[in-house]
Amino acid sequence: MRKAPPSGPHTRKGGVRLSRSASFYFVLPAVLIFGVFILYPMFMAFSYAFFEWHGTARGAFHGIGNFITLFTREPYKTDVPRAFSHNILIFGAEMILQNTIGLGIAYALHNLKRGKRFFQTLYTLPYLVSSIVIGYLWTLMLSSTFGPVNRLLEIIGLDKFALPWLGDPRTAIWVLILVVTWQWIGFPVLLYGAALGGVPADLEEAASIDGANRRQRFFAVTLPLIMPAVTTVSVLGFIGAMEAFALPYALGGSTGSPAGSTDVLSLVFYRVAFESGDSNGTGISSALATLLFIFIFGASVLATGIMRRREENRT
Amino acid sequence: MKRSRLVAGAVLLATLAPTLYTTSAHADTETTLNVWSWRPEDASAYKDIFAVYEAAHPNIKVNFQTYVATQYPQILTTGLTGKNGPDIVQTQAYGRLQPFVLGGNLVPLNGKVSGLSNIATANLGGSSGHIDGKIYGVPFATQTIQMFYNKDIFAKYNLSVPKTWANFIKNNDTLKKAGVIPMSVGAKDTFLLPLISEAFTSAVYGGPAFERDVLSGNKTFEDPLYVKAISTFADMKEYMPDNVVGVSYSDSQTLFISERAAMFPGGSFELGFFQAQNPNLKIGTFQIPPPPGSASKTGLTPTYVDGSWSLNAKSTNQAAALNLLRWMASQQFGQLFSNKLSQMSPIRGVTFINPLLAQMAANAKRYPAPYLLIADFRWAAPTGTDIMAPGLQKLFLGTTNPAQLATALQTGISTWFKPKK
Amino acid sequence: MRNFSTWQNTSEKPKRLGNFVVMGLLILYSFIALGPLLLMVVGSFRTSSAIFTNPLGFEWPPSVQSFVKAWDQAHFSVYFLNSILVTVSSVLISTSVSVLAAYALARSRARSMRILEATFLSGLMLPIQLAIVPIFHLLDGFNMIDSLPGLILVYSAAGIPFSVFVLVAFFRQLPEDLEEASVIDGASAFRRFWSVMVPLVRPAIAAVAIFRFVPVWNDFLYPLILLRSSNHYTLPVGLASFFGQYQTDWSLLFAGLVITTLPLIILFLLASKQVIAGLTAGMGK
Repeated sequence: MRKAPPSGPHTRKGGVRLSRSASFYFVLPAVLIFGVFILYPMFMAFSYAFFEWHGTARGAFHGIGNFITLFTREPYKTDVPRAFSHNILIFGAEMILQNTIGLGIAYALHNLKRGKRFFQTLYTLPYLVSSIVIGYLWTLMLSSTFGPVNRLLEIIGLDKFALPWLGDPRTAIWVLILVVTWQWIGFPVLLYGAALGGVPADLEEAASIDGANRRQRFFAVTLPLIMPAVTTVSVLGFIGAMEAFALPYALGGSTGSPAGSTDVLSLVFYRVAFESGDSNGTGISSALATLLFIFIFGASVLATGIMRRREENRT
Repeated sequence: MKRSRLVAGAVLLATLAPTLYTTSAHADTETTLNVWSWRPEDASAYKDIFAVYEAAHPNIKVNFQTYVATQYPQILTTGLTGKNGPDIVQTQAYGRLQPFVLGGNLVPLNGKVSGLSNIATANLGGSSGHIDGKIYGVPFATQTIQMFYNKDIFAKYNLSVPKTWANFIKNNDTLKKAGVIPMSVGAKDTFLLPLISEAFTSAVYGGPAFERDVLSGNKTFEDPLYVKAISTFADMKEYMPDNVVGVSYSDSQTLFISERAAMFPGGSFELGFFQAQNPNLKIGTFQIPPPPGSASKTGLTPTYVDGSWSLNAKSTNQAAALNLLRWMASQQFGQLFSNKLSQMSPIRGVTFINPLLAQMAANAKRYPAPYLLIADFRWAAPTGTDIMAPGLQKLFLGTTNPAQLATALQTGISTWFKPKK
Repeated sequence: MRNFSTWQNTSEKPKRLGNFVVMGLLILYSFIALGPLLLMVVGSFRTSSAIFTNPLGFEWPPSVQSFVKAWDQAHFSVYFLNSILVTVSSVLISTSVSVLAAYALARSRARSMRILEATFLSGLMLPIQLAIVPIFHLLDGFNMIDSLPGLILVYSAAGIPFSVFVLVAFFRQLPEDLEEASVIDGASAFRRFWSVMVPLVRPAIAAVAIFRFVPVWNDFLYPLILLRSSNHYTLPVGLASFFGQYQTDWSLLFAGLVITTLPLIILFLLASKQVIAGLTAGMGK
């Protein structure tokens, strides 16, 4: 039987549970490996943005010239903001989908007596397959010439829904969003499952004895206690949505077909760095990636700070 | 606990790994040359080809490595700028070659490879530095653009190879009425749309003559002939599969291979693939005759260089690699290449045993034309294809028209293109 | 699950219908989850030419030639071993150093730790396509190109941000009074960590391990650029070689994918058992 759940706000403020020297040794291995193999190359990568490049050779220091080019010269001037808007749309949609469908499935599985692991594994299967192949498989499924989806819709009489899914700029982006959800759903389901398992059963019991129905129990008791998991899923979802590359590339090619409606920032990066005729491709693409990083970092730190503070105020 | 044992085991394995997997070093005079390519589908053919060289040079071993095309530019960048890089690399042509020229990663071959004089000057354009004009590679293939057709389907509906535009349209109408997809095109994947459109447009705007005019500034892409060319292609939509923007490139190949479509406009690189997937398919080719009012009276065959074999400036086996490169500019290599891969080698004197290949090459020789957008308009951003690829797709979506597209093209390339008067 | 029989009986009928509907939805979604993947498995038992001529058909008898070709000709037997070595080592390393670091970050209020946490988080946001060239030059400088230990270290480092992020969240949730008992007993920080905290976050560790295992196992970009010899290659590099510039050998690719994905499925089944076991045993204490 577990100890009494935490009561009241933390009264132990400022006291370091772990001594300074202990903390140091605990973080040291991670700091070393991360510092050498990720942090240092990261700074090198960002430094590329401040130089002018001649093909593969680095040229003179260019200040913020590359950044200015991104917003003043075509095709970057149109492509970057448009791709950014797609990233934001993907994030917004994913937030809603992952947190509702994911949480819903996790909750349903949580109350299931048997078959939990069976469904969990099934729903996580798409995550285990490489994105490029997922892209091909869905392209085939949704093909207006050969795809079974349209064939099925026609059979059950829903002909007018047998659209060229990936060939219409209005539907393509939503297909991308749904496929991303389809691929990723296993992660929130698992994480929420773990979080739901952490909600003490006696709390739910107490609430139901108090007369709360299922819905009230969920929103008043369960949800606040799994907020950390919601934060985790949301922050990771945000980063994933801003940096999505493999699935957009697999579904829409490097230009974000059709007509740039599935274009995202990492596709722009790829195009500028490797497919454009620009001799300064490395410089400009690095500037784009640097800006993207700053945006993601700023937004994540802000959001994490807000959400963590809210968590602390609840306990 | 079990965990610490696992950790210890992993660490042990990790430290042993280098010894377990080190390739054995050849102590004596055997030199291994590393050749990189972006064509995994050609891997086994090249291994056979290089075996011929190895047989003639007992102390040379050629290690041919292929990499997935989408990541190849990154691979080349790291390979050419790091230590222990490759010796000979396949490089892309025209504008895509320049980053490595500018970066000083490749060795200029002027005067070092005699075989280069055996290659037509027009075909060396794709292997040269845009600014210094030096030659940085031995071109390995030229590709031509034309219409493939299914001989059996044509015979079934009593169709003949069209010599006039009227005949071409009549063929399409007959096929459409009979329920056969006349032309298989996939507009979902934009990257090949400029190439496919060139099969139709080149003769309309007048190929080589137009190229001269645009490069000298006498004409622009807003010229009525160019607009007419684009609209000729746009008008073909009714003969393409339904919802053409939803049809992927792979789908369009399948439609032709499975004989659901009668014709396929595309590059000569498709030939070997079609024949391998369906050996029963009877394929023919023809040049699309232009409509009345076009600059050319006959169809043309646009041709371009696919890429070259270049020498890494940092190669530690310069002499041996250069020898291999010289062989790759020889007729023997060219002949092996064309025989095994059913593609056109640009080296003079190579005969094409595949009759279709020979026919396409003969057409290209008699009615040559440049693949304008990649040959002359890929030197800076936005490139001609950057604009035309999504632009042609928009044409099929109906969100732009030929005149607007032509203007967009002209506006885009004017930001960096200066005609040479 | 506890059985609150007294008050539950009153709402049993609609509850049973509700359960039925829920189960129905779960099963429906199973088909959606599986659909495209079934296409892949079926395709692995056909030939590429067949797939090109008839994308949704099936020919009897099924052909295993693609599996044989992938295993032998495409050296999947060697790549398989390399994948196991690289993935297991890097996940072990990144998970262990991250659990240690996450504990300290969750339990410390020091300003420096907050900054460190933000720094780790920033690694999560690094676009991989951007980082690959500097990472290449870093390893090149250490002469670690074409070495599996080099690749393992890069993956270990790359896994730290995600692992730390998730584990810190779980550690923070554990109330500090749980450790009080062992503090009073005079246990060292590490003892407290190992005996008390780690078992409690076991589900999170399992979740983190599996969600690091998958992207490392499936990653093809780093091995493609950081490895050179074919006997060092991992499975995804082998898969990448099936993608032609214009034409892909789909049957071979699908067969290779089935070989590549099967271990992940098995691993996931085992790991999710850990997660569930942790749920019913750990948190219920």
